[in-house]
Amino acid sequence: MRRLSFVAQLAALLAAGAAPGASAETVRVFAAASLMEAFRDVAALYEQQHAGDAIELNFAGSQVLRTQIEQGASVDVFASADLVHADALKTAGLLGPYKVFARNRLVVVVPAGSPRVKGLQDVARPGVKVLVAGPTVPVGRYTTQALAKLGAAGLYGDDFQTRVQANVVSQETNVRAVLSKVLLGEADAGFVYVTDATTAAQKVQVIDIPERYNVVAEYPIGVVTKGAAAMQAKAFVDLVLGSEGQAILRKYGFAR
Amino acid sequence: MREGGRQEVLPRSVWLASIPLALYICVPLLALLFVVPPTDLARHLASPMAVRALWLTLKTTAIATLLVVVLGTPLAFMLARGSFRGRGLLDTLMDLPITVPPVVAGVALLLAFGRRGLIGRQLDVYGVQIAFTSVAVVMAQLFIASPFFVKAASAGFEAVDARLEAAARTLGASRWRVFWTISVPLARPALLSGVVLAWARALSEFGATMMFAGNFPGRTQTLTLAVMSALESDLETAVAVSVLSLALAVTALLGAKWLAGQWRAPLA
Repeated sequence: MRRLSFVAQLAALLAAGAAPGASAETVRVFAAASLMEAFRDVAALYEQQHAGDAIELNFAGSQVLRTQIEQGASVDVFASADLVHADALKTAGLLGPYKVFARNRLVVVVPAGSPRVKGLQDVARPGVKVLVAGPTVPVGRYTTQALAKLGAAGLYGDDFQTRVQANVVSQETNVRAVLSKVLLGEADAGFVYVTDATTAAQKVQVIDIPERYNVVAEYPIGVVTKGAAAMQAKAFVDLVLGSEGQAILRKYGFAR
Repeated sequence: MREGGRQEVLPRSVWLASIPLALYICVPLLALLFVVPPTDLARHLASPMAVRALWLTLKTTAIATLLVVVLGTPLAFMLARGSFRGRGLLDTLMDLPITVPPVVAGVALLLAFGRRGLIGRQLDVYGVQIAFTSVAVVMAQLFIASPFFVKAASAGFEAVDARLEAAARTLGASRWRVFWTISVPLARPALLSGVVLAWARALSEFGATMMFAGNFPGRTQTLTLAVMSALESDLETAVAVSVLSLALAVTALLGAKWLAGQWRAPLA
């Protein structure tokens, strides 16, 4: 697939050189770190369908991408892991109308075979090392919300949230950093999206957070207003929203 | 320092050709100063995040620098005066932390001292866990910064005339006394500038710290990590903390120059 798109790009380059005005475009897509695998597939599909166009993907925490767009990064499409950052860009006139294209929820991941954490209650046990994403990262905020709900429910004691937060050893900058440090066995538990857990299914144990205490993460996607390739950007967004893009997202565990 | 370089009147073309790089270094640093008005600067720097990051940074870099000197001086002396197999190899090895990307150093530290690491696994048995603690911050700084001291110090020791040391020995001074009364005083400018360089490098450490120590306010969030974290929520605070880091760097440089001027080697 990769070779195919390379050949296609090469051909497009040559064609562009030979016939000035041929519309080979590079579409720059800024996407939340949790979308990595799914968007790589969507991008490959797009490049297959639009010979000559190339998709350039940049993954990071949504808050990082937002700052980069605010500071004038040249981007065509923004896919965030929450509405907050998309709304902020829209208010600033930097992002056009957006649509929610996927939903996600939180789970706790534990290194496979780790004896320290068997259930949610263990995450609050003294001495357990817990990783979360920072307060500006969407998944970090969702984590705080879910912990508040769990605490308020009183299932594991009133001070559940406080005790878990006392166990937090680091606030990582994106969800994948949380996952990889859990994979390395450096932490006993990490709060990530269910889709991240699927990417490392063999190496982690997943502890579910019951739906009524969980948080639904909404992923909006939109075209950046100052983008250079507006038409292609729109086509990419349509692909994500369409049945083919949705099938890919489903494959990686996202919900509609 | 100047004696070596002959000073001459240079043609205008050389002047012109020197300007671009000098400007290129100057302009971004100046830009930092113009974004946030001075009054706001003080307010941002008084924020708990900035205060905690500054305090942690000063504390960890002080300890790291101390360790660099204590552990680095014998090594530097050995590299300068010793003749043994593998000296060249050791010399090159000590340069590696300069060329290895810091984030790679962080991964390496994690794989060595992390809970499942080569050494960390043994420590874990005794309940010692390093990753995500202030100790990890110091270790990352020590790893990255030590070559700057060792290189400078070993060059300093090498420049000391070995005949002076030998003469002192023939007059009955012990090795220890020769080291403290001859070698160290003569190499002092090099040693001091090595200390300042190592401290400055520890101040700017980011990649290895992020990887090995993580990011937690008050425990592992140093100034550079605070800049990164603040950048995601509040550009002004990020710039304010950057200005503070710049001030520390300038202090380090001026300090190094001043120290070098104060303590010129007695016989140099």
